[in-house]
Amino acid sequence: MNKKIPNFIYTNQFGLLCLVLIFTLIFSTSTDGFTSRFNIFALSRVIAIDIMIGLAMMVVILTGGLNLALGAIGVCAAMFGGWCMEVLGIPIIPSILLMLGMGSFLGWINGIITVKTGVHSFVVTLATMSIYFGFMTMLTEAEAFRRLPELFTDFGSAKLFNKYVSPLLLVSVATCFALFYLFRFTDIGRKLIAAGANPEAAELSGISVNRMFIYCHMLSGFLGALAAILLTTRIGAAIPSMAGQLGMDWLLPAFLAPVIGGTLLSGGKLSVFGTMLGAVLVTLLTNGLYLLDVGEFWIRFFLGIILLLAVLLDRTREYFTLKSVIVS
Amino acid sequence: MNEFCLEISSANKSFPGVKALDQATFQLRKASIHALLGENGAGKSTLIKIITGVHKQDSGKLIINGKEETLNNPNDATKFGISVVHQERNLIRRFSVGENLMLNNMPKTALGLIDYNEIAIQSKKWLKILDLDIDPNTLVSDLTVAKMQLCEIAKALSLKAKILLLDEPTSSLSPQESKILFSLLKKIVREEGVSIVFVSHKLEEVFNICDDVTVLRDGQNACTSEDIKNLDRQKLVRLMIGRDEQIVKSTRKNQNTKDTILALKNVKTELGHKNINLELNRSEIIGLYGLVGAGRTELMKCLIGQDKITDGEVIINGKKVTINSPKSALEKFKIGYISEDRKKEGLILIHNVLDNTSITVWSQIKKAIGFVSDGMISKKVDPYISQLEVKTPSNYQLISNLSGGNQQKISVAKWLAAGTDILIIDEPTVGIDIKTKAYLHELIIKLADDGTSIILISSDMPEMISLADKIIVMNNFQMNGIVENNHDYDSVSSKIMEYIHT
Ligand SMILES: Nc1ncnc2c1ncn2[C@@H]1O[C@H](COP(=O)(O)OP(=O)(O)OP(=O)(O)O)[C@@H](O)[C@H]1O
Ligand SMILES: [Mg+2]
Repeated sequence: MNKKIPNFIYTNQFGLLCLVLIFTLIFSTSTDGFTSRFNIFALSRVIAIDIMIGLAMMVVILTGGLNLALGAIGVCAAMFGGWCMEVLGIPIIPSILLMLGMGSFLGWINGIITVKTGVHSFVVTLATMSIYFGFMTMLTEAEAFRRLPELFTDFGSAKLFNKYVSPLLLVSVATCFALFYLFRFTDIGRKLIAAGANPEAAELSGISVNRMFIYCHMLSGFLGALAAILLTTRIGAAIPSMAGQLGMDWLLPAFLAPVIGGTLLSGGKLSVFGTMLGAVLVTLLTNGLYLLDVGEFWIRFFLGIILLLAVLLDRTREYFTLKSVIVS
Repeated sequence: MNEFCLEISSANKSFPGVKALDQATFQLRKASIHALLGENGAGKSTLIKIITGVHKQDSGKLIINGKEETLNNPNDATKFGISVVHQERNLIRRFSVGENLMLNNMPKTALGLIDYNEIAIQSKKWLKILDLDIDPNTLVSDLTVAKMQLCEIAKALSLKAKILLLDEPTSSLSPQESKILFSLLKKIVREEGVSIVFVSHKLEEVFNICDDVTVLRDGQNACTSEDIKNLDRQKLVRLMIGRDEQIVKSTRKNQNTKDTILALKNVKTELGHKNINLELNRSEIIGLYGLVGAGRTELMKCLIGQDKITDGEVIINGKKVTINSPKSALEKFKIGYISEDRKKEGLILIHNVLDNTSITVWSQIKKAIGFVSDGMISKKVDPYISQLEVKTPSNYQLISNLSGGNQQKISVAKWLAAGTDILIIDEPTVGIDIKTKAYLHELIIKLADDGTSIILISSDMPEMISLADKIIVMNNFQMNGIVENNHDYDSVSSKIMEYIHT
């Protein structure tokens, strides 16, 4: 939690902000299309979705856990929404609410199983990832929903601010503010963080840790569904492979953003705006490297390296926040 | 200069916002026991951490056996024959007691594998020296704090160091266990020429075993290597706190209103308690006394719903109730539990002072849609933080950066803030200096006078006798008897000891 920033200069966020600026500078001078209106608009759409995915993972990392089923939940929510709108003809707003409900429900299942069995959420969500995805494939027979209401898909291609920015980005930034408010200014948010930091102490202080963990998983599912909604409006269809095999394409950006952003992998500390900046940085890098014509393979290679560096950073961060504990 | 095996001269050490040591000087004579005293946050542990290579001094010299040395990490200290029991527990909770004890020199079989039989045999030897009856295969996480503390002492002894640093080794022990430790310490000083640095807030212990005394105040020397024979309790206290000690005498009359707020009838628990009967009246302080392992903490954990009560009745305000979680204990029945294990169960070390102190009150102070701001929290908890004189540069300091005693104050403060009807206090003054201890005692009495009912667990017999109205003596997860407390130390303590041994 970034309580009372003593000196903004020393925070992780400031470092990230500098990196974002530096890379923007590098790419805008070394490539042609980087600052074009088209590219900036495209970037804003991708960034919006990556932020949302990062936030969805962040709230489970908060508990010291992981949500590998995130992508699968997202795709399930998207397909469910596609079915509601295209087949059942349910209007857009109720459909969106149903999708969010679906995401939360699948997250709730993850949470319940994790809490009741005591098995690490890594294992639980590894299993539910296949289960959710399998179910979805079976029910949809791997068919996409491509005839979504126009109003819905228009949102994904709308352009704001002199046609530079997608409204999707506004949704993600607003979500960041909402989460920041939740974690910093509400009792439930504080309890979620406390439960993640030291479950035993939190429990004895009158916090129902199990319930908090379930909430975190639900919130993760909710945000996953939100990311899926953004993605569906962007590509204009709900497609089973929209997040890759088993939804695994989401996992790398999902880890990268919060870990680079300063969320402690062991739980109990998070940074909402760090996650946002982390997502921005990763997307910028990927986009810039594309424009520099570095091959797809090398981009993945780079992202892998960045993930490793970020985890290393997490280790040192943990060492420093706990220094006097580990040794004293 | 050869009479000193360890010297620190004019050491300085600063942390952000705090000057922990300010020209501190310390000299340890060979084959002596040297007391290092001072209030919470005076810099004792910091000094010990410098001697053991955990921290590095900003300036000043560290001289070992007459030579100036630089220690870069704890391993360096081990090489000079320095071994330490830190104030905070450092055992690996998922390892067994035996594995922890032998961690630094694991016995191996001919094939180079770890020899678990040998671990058991060797660790048993060291446990026995401290009269500790623990199976070496027990997981550390299953031990009480006191037993962990004893294990850690056994571990330090097993290294056969020449210089032994003990940072509040007796904080969680009862006098009986401390006595065994002390005779052992005296023996290794006499027979093996070991030199010992001893930190404690219990002055009787200091007069009992120490030869020299160094007192720190706000990181500076209030006295350096004074012969204990030149000091008495009063002088020592004045050196530590700058004024005379205030003795808290309970002036409480025995409550004649019998307004039973909590009763346990024939309670059995899943942890093995049997036949527990207890009655707590409004404004009453009941003490639970017993040796390490008597099952006092465990009983209280069952009461607040952390573990299960399997049989018998719990009656609150005349109604039979079931408490199934600490949350319902706090929110429905207004029962709070101050844990004895502040590091594991009391505090969130990676969070700050404000968040830790307020964790019990968020639900109480929240406004519409759960709104809670730092300002609202400060308003609620600041009085408790300043009442207990918590030494911290700001409310945003991480708990892990506070001195041990100040951490303890926070774990008490958060429950004072909660304002419960029944407060279970488990070893409240562990590691707290005498000034704050007196203050806490006053506070507990005042809480009770104002209508809170208190169950007090303490291994500190004088504390128990000065605070409790009646004392329940427990042994082996059962109640051995109840002693009405007339606050006369000699008669009450002998009655307690009688019950312990029946
Ligand atoms: N890692 C740290 N970071 C910041 N401040 C620290 C750190 N360690 C200690 N301090 C501060 O240094 C001062 C001295 O602490 P120290 O632990 O030496 O006190 P102590 O004499 O051992 O007290 P106690 O009796 O409570 O154990 C305290 O004000 C403490 O808050
Ligand atoms: Mg200390």
